[in-house]
Amino acid sequence: MKGRPSLWSWLWLLIGTLYFFLPLLATFLFSLRAKKGVLSLLAYQRVLQDPRFYRAFLFSLEIGVLTIVFSIALVVPTAYWIRVSAPQLRSLVEWTTMMPFVIPPVVLTFGLIRLYSRPPLPLTSTFEGTTFLLVAGYVVLSLPYMYRAVDIGLQAIDVRGLTEAAQSLGAGWGTILFRVIFPNLRVALLSGSFLTLAIVMGEYTMASFLVGLNAFGPYMWLVGRNKTYESAALSIISFALTWFCISLIQVLNRGRGVAQIPGAH
Amino acid sequence: MAAIRSEQRKLSLLLERQWVSSLPLLRWIAGLPYFGFVFFFMILPFLFLLIGSLQDAQGRWTLKNYMDLLEPSILEAYSISVRISLASAIGGGILGFLLAYAITVGGLPSGIRSALLTFSGVASNFAGVPLAFAFIATLGRTGLVTVLLKSAGIDLYGAGFNLYSFWGLTLTYIYFQLPLMVLVITPALDGLRREWREAAESLGASTLQYWWRIALPILTPSVLGAMVLLFGNAFGAYATAVSLTGGFINLVTIVIGAQISGDVLYNMNLGYALAMGMVFIMTLMMILYRFLRQQGERWLQ
Amino acid sequence: MRFLRFVPQMLLLSAWLLVACQPGATPAPSAAPPPAPGLEGLVKAAQAEGMLTVIALPHDWCNYGEAIETFKKRYGIQVNELNPDASSAEEIEAIKANKGSKGPQAPDVIDVGLGFAPQLVEEQLVMPYKVSTWDTIPNEVKHPDGYWYGDYYGVIAFEVNKEVVKNVPQDWADLLKPEYKNMVALAGDPRLSAQAQMSVYAAALANGGSLDNVMPGLEFFKKLNEVGNFVPVIGKQSTVAKGETPILIRWDYNALADKEALAGNPEIEVVIPKSGVIAGVYVQAISAYAPHPNAAKLWMEFLYSDEGQLIWLKGGCHPIRYADLVKRNVIPPDIAAKLPPAEAYARAVFPTIEQINRAKQVIADNWMKVVGAEVK
Repeated sequence: MKGRPSLWSWLWLLIGTLYFFLPLLATFLFSLRAKKGVLSLLAYQRVLQDPRFYRAFLFSLEIGVLTIVFSIALVVPTAYWIRVSAPQLRSLVEWTTMMPFVIPPVVLTFGLIRLYSRPPLPLTSTFEGTTFLLVAGYVVLSLPYMYRAVDIGLQAIDVRGLTEAAQSLGAGWGTILFRVIFPNLRVALLSGSFLTLAIVMGEYTMASFLVGLNAFGPYMWLVGRNKTYESAALSIISFALTWFCISLIQVLNRGRGVAQIPGAH
Repeated sequence: MAAIRSEQRKLSLLLERQWVSSLPLLRWIAGLPYFGFVFFFMILPFLFLLIGSLQDAQGRWTLKNYMDLLEPSILEAYSISVRISLASAIGGGILGFLLAYAITVGGLPSGIRSALLTFSGVASNFAGVPLAFAFIATLGRTGLVTVLLKSAGIDLYGAGFNLYSFWGLTLTYIYFQLPLMVLVITPALDGLRREWREAAESLGASTLQYWWRIALPILTPSVLGAMVLLFGNAFGAYATAVSLTGGFINLVTIVIGAQISGDVLYNMNLGYALAMGMVFIMTLMMILYRFLRQQGERWLQ
Repeated sequence: MRFLRFVPQMLLLSAWLLVACQPGATPAPSAAPPPAPGLEGLVKAAQAEGMLTVIALPHDWCNYGEAIETFKKRYGIQVNELNPDASSAEEIEAIKANKGSKGPQAPDVIDVGLGFAPQLVEEQLVMPYKVSTWDTIPNEVKHPDGYWYGDYYGVIAFEVNKEVVKNVPQDWADLLKPEYKNMVALAGDPRLSAQAQMSVYAAALANGGSLDNVMPGLEFFKKLNEVGNFVPVIGKQSTVAKGETPILIRWDYNALADKEALAGNPEIEVVIPKSGVIAGVYVQAISAYAPHPNAAKLWMEFLYSDEGQLIWLKGGCHPIRYADLVKRNVIPPDIAAKLPPAEAYARAVFPTIEQINRAKQVIADNWMKVVGAEVK
């Protein structure tokens, strides 16, 4: 099992906690000042009583889940294939995964709108089509994070060995992917999913031009413009809610039993 | 029994190799979904960028936009962007690694590990205006920590600290870089099997030798890959920088914003060329990464 | 004991239950005046379309929030609100990118800065329409054929947090005083934001410049930075309330909206400077590719009716038909009372389109060179 944690470990944890916690604390203290001269939860009340808050949050949450599913379905087989069959393509694929960082979001958004506003694929004529375009855009935006997380996860397990062992037992590619690779990528996939969810919940540009105030990012911006204390409260609330959703994912994951590499720490 | 097994193994490998080599196309089909998706939803919009950078406002072909990139203020913008991205990638990378170490090999309780991973998931995207305000509220002139320290006799701003500066912005960037590092590097640290350490120790290796000869070589490709991710993450950041710098720090993303989304009569084609410049720098970074990764893999041998 | 891991979540849940289950205020229903004669056909056509897509309309900007809600309730038309933060350039780009689309992300109407008006006509991005109150719109701020028309204007003012700033500055020269160290900020990046650029423009007028010479404005901010009074962060309501940017230079209507929203927590004063008062006009237009042209036209009729114009006035913006409203004495006294005195606006200077565009270009090009600190 693990060794006893050293003093260093606790020290780093302390420094890390302070660094993360203080800005949140500052925001929280500010959010309590909605009523003059008194510390109160008035700002939170106002936020939680706004029906648009729930609509926007749930909408973005749904989009987030869809994005995670598509992203994993796209990235894991690809990253696996790169390692096993086509290592010479690795640099090319990695380059494509880094491009979302340097294409300005406005350019990507308007590019997608331009491309998919006319036949043969007029996605933007309907709300459903526009939503699909939004999910596709988010898969692109989350690509760097999901790919890197999966790649590092694959690095940490002996992909070739596992593949060959499975094949010698007669497994086909589908079985290898679903029953051998996926379970061993549990932590990496969780990381990628967390990152993707957080991106979708906070994203502004693409959402604002495709679905406007229906999404959570634009809604947060709107509140932030004119309602100072509510905006600070909203930051804390969205932080807490995203934490809640992510913990939920972790709990559900934990219940399925651990398929970790034996002895690994 | 073992002989039969090894024969079976050789046979299946032979079959696989034959199957695979006799149908080279089949190997590439596996990549179709990915490349197809990337083509339709990333390459095609990217072409707008590429073509636009080679045109002027009337649609005629020109290289003028690229010539304009050589202007000193724009080169300076690239320089500052690269430096901030490097600073926050290395700073966030090292600190994130240490934190990830603490919760994996360092042996902190598993409750703390899952709390930290969850928190990292959220914090890694706590960026933009809310983060800028959080830091203003903490380390601005009227910020929580600034005021607390002042009452304890330490004058941060008097000593030269300024949130609205290169290092202030770097410090703010690290807020989302650090958790990103923790999240992506944890699986790599998990993969460091305890047996290797025990084996090394039983062979007489010291902790330093273990790290130098075994652990670091194994971790290097992952750490490099993670830092490249952090670099890209910071390089493309916009909202946080705009909110926190108010026109004083010259970052490429802000210059692009001025051309593409600004309120002055703008030059979109220059904006596209600027973005292509970023693509170029990112490509250089990927080449450097590939070189370092291959060196690292050689080290492993 | 494992449930202890869920303590934060349980706390959150109980806090939410406590806070959310309190009765909220019910909104008052809006009285519906009958539509102007001749408009019934337009109302029916608009309702048949059922939707209006707008862009770049923050709810607290000129009280657009109330305008949108009133329109929605009165006519039962759904309103899609795209990117409330869009700049004028992005609004135009949105029209261009959506040329082939009639979907919910193609904007019907836009509200852009005056400087962008010529481009709308040149590039054939808008369709002409003359509202029923067309004749009461001043000629200088509308296109003769109805392609675009001014909607409101405001002047650059100072938004001051009175609890941090004891001695409220009254003019540009005051801002340089040592008592305002680390207090003055702009509401945008002068390379990107019209509001920040107009602030520099106004400073120019107060410091020896003119509508054709904005360099003195840049020099002013350089001096402001050198004496240490300038805070290099983008100011907004939160930074004013926090005290980080207690003096914020921005449009008067935004400052008034902040004052109203903060409701004394803290106390805000909106000051129109004694010299250097520059007015900024925004214009409305209907997209040539609007998916819902009738809804768009009805929206315009609504905005340019007395009621619509007064909604803007409530938000602190001077509607373009202000002179007409005053002449006919239809401005309710309680709205008039919240505005700064009319004499302050008498000093306002209105630049032409060419002057605006030239000035903004000079400011955007020279900001970093003249004012920008060399960040190493």
